[in-house]
Amino acid sequence: MRKRIVGSLALVAVGVTALAACSSSSSSSSSSSTTPTSSATPSSSSTSSGTAAALPGQYGSVPNEATGPETAGTITVAAPPNAAPTWILPIVTGAANSVFTVPEFDYQMYRPLYWLLNGVEPKETPAMSLANDPVWSNGDKTVTFTLKSNYKWSNGQPVTSQDVLFWWYLMKAAIKESPANWAYYTPGLGVPDQVKSITAPNSSTVVLNLTAAVNPVWFQEDSLGAIQPMPSQSWDIDATGGKPITDWATNPADAKKIYDYLSGQAKSLSTYATNPLWQIVDGPYKLSSFTTSTGAFTMVPNTNYGGPHATTESSWQSVPFTSDAAEFNAVKSGSIDIGYVPLTDLPQATSLTSSYNEFGYSDFGWSYVAYNFKDTTSDFNNIIDKLYIRQALAHLEDEAGYIHAFFYGAGGQGFGPVPAIPQSPYSPSNALTDPYPFSTSDAATILKDNGWNVVPNGTDTCAKPGSGAGECGAGIAAGTKLEWNVIYNTSPAIIGEQVQDWASQARSVGITMNLSSSNFNYMIENYNDPSSPKTIDKWAMEDFGGFTDSTYPTTFGVFNSTGSSNLGGYADPEADKLITASISSSNPDAVTAEAEYLTEQQPGLFQPNPDSAFASGILVWKKDVSGPPTSFQSLTQYGWNPEFWFLTS
Amino acid sequence: MIGYILRRIGTSIVILIGVSIFIFGLLHAIYPSPAIDVLGSRANTVLIQAWNKQNGFDEPWLEQYLRYVGNLLRGNLGWSYKLNQSVASLFGEVWQRSAWLSGAALVLSVVIAVPLGVYQAVRRNTVGDYVATSLAFIVYAMPVFFLGLILINVFALDLHWFGFEASQSNSLLSIIVDVHDMTLPIVTLTLLTIASYSRYMRSSAMDVLAQDYIKVARAKGLPERLVLLRHLLRNACLPMVTLIGLSIPYLLAGNLITETLFNYRGLGLLFYTALGNVDYNVLLAYTLIGAVLTIIGNLIADIALTVADPRIRLA
Repeated sequence: MRKRIVGSLALVAVGVTALAACSSSSSSSSSSSTTPTSSATPSSSSTSSGTAAALPGQYGSVPNEATGPETAGTITVAAPPNAAPTWILPIVTGAANSVFTVPEFDYQMYRPLYWLLNGVEPKETPAMSLANDPVWSNGDKTVTFTLKSNYKWSNGQPVTSQDVLFWWYLMKAAIKESPANWAYYTPGLGVPDQVKSITAPNSSTVVLNLTAAVNPVWFQEDSLGAIQPMPSQSWDIDATGGKPITDWATNPADAKKIYDYLSGQAKSLSTYATNPLWQIVDGPYKLSSFTTSTGAFTMVPNTNYGGPHATTESSWQSVPFTSDAAEFNAVKSGSIDIGYVPLTDLPQATSLTSSYNEFGYSDFGWSYVAYNFKDTTSDFNNIIDKLYIRQALAHLEDEAGYIHAFFYGAGGQGFGPVPAIPQSPYSPSNALTDPYPFSTSDAATILKDNGWNVVPNGTDTCAKPGSGAGECGAGIAAGTKLEWNVIYNTSPAIIGEQVQDWASQARSVGITMNLSSSNFNYMIENYNDPSSPKTIDKWAMEDFGGFTDSTYPTTFGVFNSTGSSNLGGYADPEADKLITASISSSNPDAVTAEAEYLTEQQPGLFQPNPDSAFASGILVWKKDVSGPPTSFQSLTQYGWNPEFWFLTS
Repeated sequence: MIGYILRRIGTSIVILIGVSIFIFGLLHAIYPSPAIDVLGSRANTVLIQAWNKQNGFDEPWLEQYLRYVGNLLRGNLGWSYKLNQSVASLFGEVWQRSAWLSGAALVLSVVIAVPLGVYQAVRRNTVGDYVATSLAFIVYAMPVFFLGLILINVFALDLHWFGFEASQSNSLLSIIVDVHDMTLPIVTLTLLTIASYSRYMRSSAMDVLAQDYIKVARAKGLPERLVLLRHLLRNACLPMVTLIGLSIPYLLAGNLITETLFNYRGLGLLFYTALGNVDYNVLLAYTLIGAVLTIIGNLIADIALTVADPRIRLA
């Protein structure tokens, strides 16, 4: 599920911003009451104090699920700026892929095979997956999974293996037209290129034969997890009111016709809520209204939903905002049930505690300053390729101080590509405790021990050139200065604040960082060596934000030497070997080993992450909106489970 | 007059072509292709190349431009690949909202600023003039975002007199009659405009007051009220006519900050979002429409000047 977010919104989100929250109020209209039963929800532990067990590094707390009568109504949920869904067909295009289009909108109607989130934890919630865990055979070259019998389409038909195949062949038709038609397509990797054949031996079983052995965990979470069955018996048409086309599995031309028709319908935003096609869902909700001019929409419960949910389900309404300030005004006025307090307004959050619950947690991802290993300006490439330099730079970063001063205490530290929090099943030990804690004296000692003449508040120079012990290292001539440029994204302001402090600390040990600001779009267009080789010497370091991790946190594509997002050309044979193992070896711990190595090697300066839900900030929700704690905690991870929410009054 | 207008239209077409080439060239110089902005920085090269081909960004610049102009001449403003809608429908959804917000504020500003400026000129260096001048300076110096926040906190969140956000209705009629929610955004814009216009008006009125024909009017015993209405007001308003003409583009260009702060989706916000997404077609259409409105605004101002002052002749 979380593979979703590799678009620019996600990039901004990690480095940038917000949260969601809820509450009742004038916007909640009660309609019925029932006695609650226990929900088959994601697991969460509780305490006798009335709140869910505290998570390390959390902001605020999450109350236990209310035990009184459940009341149905309409729960209003804030949508941050630029969050309007723009696509509905569950073969999401690259342009439409965002945390808002997919988990908040698409997944409410069309569930993925595997639900890869449990509260804040990046791991599967089996009860919410459409399929049972896959079984591997043939040396990890054959995978078989079965669909659960409890999931049905809203028209009463069961979700079958044919629905998986229908999605499959339409996805293939989509990427044949253009690889950009499916956001998760990576040529030669995963689905569909590594699949030799797909069959459905019976109505609930799907078998995939692969071209080569893969890492089973990676394939399940990054490839199978992206599959969203589609209703083959209802959508197999190429025109409104057209006759069923049943040979889509054997006739690519017909699969293309169907895809063209469905994707054409998905371009008519004004008919999203009225087109009968989109009313056939297997998720917990159906779309009942959609406003194209604002992106506002309302979801109503799908009464045939087969997964776990609150006994009395509520409708929910996405209320879009044009700015964080406008959203916060709505929260202050009490007009929104679930919203967020933007990071910059966090000092005012205490004024809301009488009416709102508050919870903050950082997203599973990583922010970083990218290093350009190919920048030859003043021999920077020969400087930054020395591990001791990168270690010294890490010692100059005061992560705890940044969280306190710039994030108002709402953030989590990150020392590598797997953050310290949320903890993942794949977190290496060195991801949990800073391997290079803040210490300017340690940084200075490292430089001195490696042949540099350290001049506090001056400019360090290489005093001992050479490749031996205690010398500066290969390619660094005597007198070489520790001076380079750093370009940072001006939005959000916390990026600049962190970089400026880092440069200030560096200055104290004689490293000169010449700072300049830019914007996100310009940076990813121009300071990205694989895409813009002509600008290779224009930047030494850049900080545009970061990435949201997939549940399976491999850095394939980012830190492997041929990765398309390897911005600064980091190349390390050992890293390549480990990253390759993460996707192709049968070792379930491969990705942990990868993360451990990269945390030690510091291919970039890993930074803390601000708390988030939809952007930087904390989640708030009204006290008469309840549900399992995980259903609120997951909002900090771009996970949406409104089917568990209910009103208590 | 007709000849003049035809000549202006001819000139305008040349200007529009120039603007379109300039903006198109500028966008392509900065972002030769917006693929990576649209698809995200983790998009692989195959996806980027495919997207470029799908959207024609793999073609030479000139071909792209000619295709764009060809579509434009057929009334096709293009497709927003990020918002998944035609540019025409995007503009159609929100232009009336922006026009109402800006238009209402403009009318109110003129209605208040003109008499205020005359009053200050006539009563210059009095307590009333000092108070009005001070308030104008304070408001003028205040960022619109800050002014709006103050108004929201005082009048919406504390006193509950008005809504904290603008009307969320999609119906223009509903928006117009929604005084509760539209007052604060309109007042925010109006205050800023009054602060500016009243200063122009005061300065212009003071110049006119020093003219001989005012002295003559007074000398022949004309009542002061008639002096001001017949001789001062009309002449003092001439600079305002030009100012208002230049304000016409804002009717549709929207007011980004006000729209953003008051949760009001208009053209200003659409443009801002398009900038963030490097949404070429929206940016191009917005710029061209802005250019058209600027030209129209200037033309209307020139014509209005001839009506206001018969001494002015268009040639």
